[in-house]
Amino acid sequence: MNKALILMSALTAAALPGWAELGGSVETVATDQVRLQAKRAITQMRDYNIHLISRDDGTLIKEYVTPAGKVFGVSWTGPTIPDLTQLLGTYSAEFQTSVRAQPRRRRAGVVRNPDLVVESTGHMRAFYGRAYVNSMLPSGVTAETVK
Amino acid sequence: MRRASLAAAAAALVTVTLAGCGGGSTPATTTPTPVLNTQQIVVDLGPDLNGQKVGADNSLYTNVQICLPGSSTCQTIDHVLVDTGSSGLRLLSTAVGLSLSYITDASSNGIGNCIQFPDTSFQWGPMAKVDVHMAGEIATVPIQIVSPTNFVGPPTACSAGGVAANTVSSLGANGILGVGLFRQDCGAPCASSSPPNVYFTCPSSGCTPTTVALTAQLQNPVWMFGADNNGLSITLPAIGATGATTVVGTIGFGIGTQTNNALGTGVLAQAATAKGMFTTTFGGVAYTNSFIDSGQGAYYFLDSTTTKLPNCPSGDAAGLYCAPSPVSLTAMTSGPNPSSSGTIVSQNIAFSVWNALTLIDSGNPAFNNIGGPNPGAFVWGLPFFYGRTVFIGIEGQTTPAGSGPYWAY
Repeated sequence: MNKALILMSALTAAALPGWAELGGSVETVATDQVRLQAKRAITQMRDYNIHLISRDDGTLIKEYVTPAGKVFGVSWTGPTIPDLTQLLGTYSAEFQTSVRAQPRRRRAGVVRNPDLVVESTGHMRAFYGRAYVNSMLPSGVTAETVK
Repeated sequence: MRRASLAAAAAALVTVTLAGCGGGSTPATTTPTPVLNTQQIVVDLGPDLNGQKVGADNSLYTNVQICLPGSSTCQTIDHVLVDTGSSGLRLLSTAVGLSLSYITDASSNGIGNCIQFPDTSFQWGPMAKVDVHMAGEIATVPIQIVSPTNFVGPPTACSAGGVAANTVSSLGANGILGVGLFRQDCGAPCASSSPPNVYFTCPSSGCTPTTVALTAQLQNPVWMFGADNNGLSITLPAIGATGATTVVGTIGFGIGTQTNNALGTGVLAQAATAKGMFTTTFGGVAYTNSFIDSGQGAYYFLDSTTTKLPNCPSGDAAGLYCAPSPVSLTAMTSGPNPSSSGTIVSQNIAFSVWNALTLIDSGNPAFNNIGGPNPGAFVWGLPFFYGRTVFIGIEGQTTPAGSGPYWAY
């Protein structure tokens, strides 16, 4: 399974619809890699896999994937904020709506809904953040895993 | 031409005469007259919007004069946000009255600049080269003009589903004066062959990320000044626990370049990392991604569980801390000595957090004890600046305390 993932070619990935995204299937991780013009490495953990996507500009994105192949968490660091509409996928709208419901202030973007948690902070040249879906955390995996 | 020559001759004559007066009988050792290197900054209710103050919370402003390069065709813009968390001057197009030419690339395509903030707001627009005047200092730099009607709108890679901070009401200011640790807004990544979403070339087919050399990027105007260009300082007086209606302070340019800008006794310099971060230790835990940001209006740190500060209810103060009574806290900031020694320099910072809802509803715009969460780190926002002088050593610039990037206070 994992070997197959590693061997998945960029070309194949480019043909797949959609974005990898929080809540999406693992195939979309490869799509992210292509769209971000990035390199990818996979680390196997006991209860999940981490797909590490890196760009030459210093951007580092980790996508946390369940054994069933679903992305349950993402984290990022980099000189700019990665496109969260792509990274958060179908959860992007909930993030934007929840942020806009808060009084407008210059500060971190933090959303702690019952299921969706997003934390986005930093400044130009050094942004970082993470997002996860509580109901998708594999059993035995805590939210602190996504970092 | 002839008139210019005459003027130059006249100026030379005046100079000679003055030197003669001051020199007396001793040989003239001419020290250039120091440039005026300070100007006023203020925390108040913000710029006017339809005849009323926009009503900002803890926003630090100053005036910026811009001129067509080399000319006396100028305009002064009030209530520009003083931001140590970014670099470069960004002005709302609606605040700019000068007729400016936008910078284009080698193919005569417009170049758009993008800045995104973690709260999902963003600013987009072309760049123009102007003379930026502050105090007696002048820098000729590209600045960003935010959302002019005669430039293409933001690509989705810039807007990213967020909200444009392109009006007085959405920004709470007429622009942002980025005077942080860095020379440019973006730096090396944007000059590389794989640039991030900051600079875009915009042919009619659409805007795509493009490589822009360091010298052509948005510049922190301070390091481009002709003098006093190694850093700056921000000084605000102390205020009381119930806030203040107006706070007036000083922004000063240069560190150790004139008699008025030495670091001073007891001021400690702490280097920041190449990414502008340093360590803040709180409750025995070191948080390495901490920074000082005059553009954020509160002490933003950690979360309610870690700090034991209750979150405010939904409403005006949502996303801030609401402690029933003032809570006194201490944290320790650390960073290497920016001089050659590199020894770690630490200092304890005492601060207070109270009820953000009570403070905001008081109608005051300035508070030294407003706080809120920030995931996994300390953001020392504007409250940190009250009762202090905070020095900013700009990256790569030499000062008596060492080279930037560093903070000193």
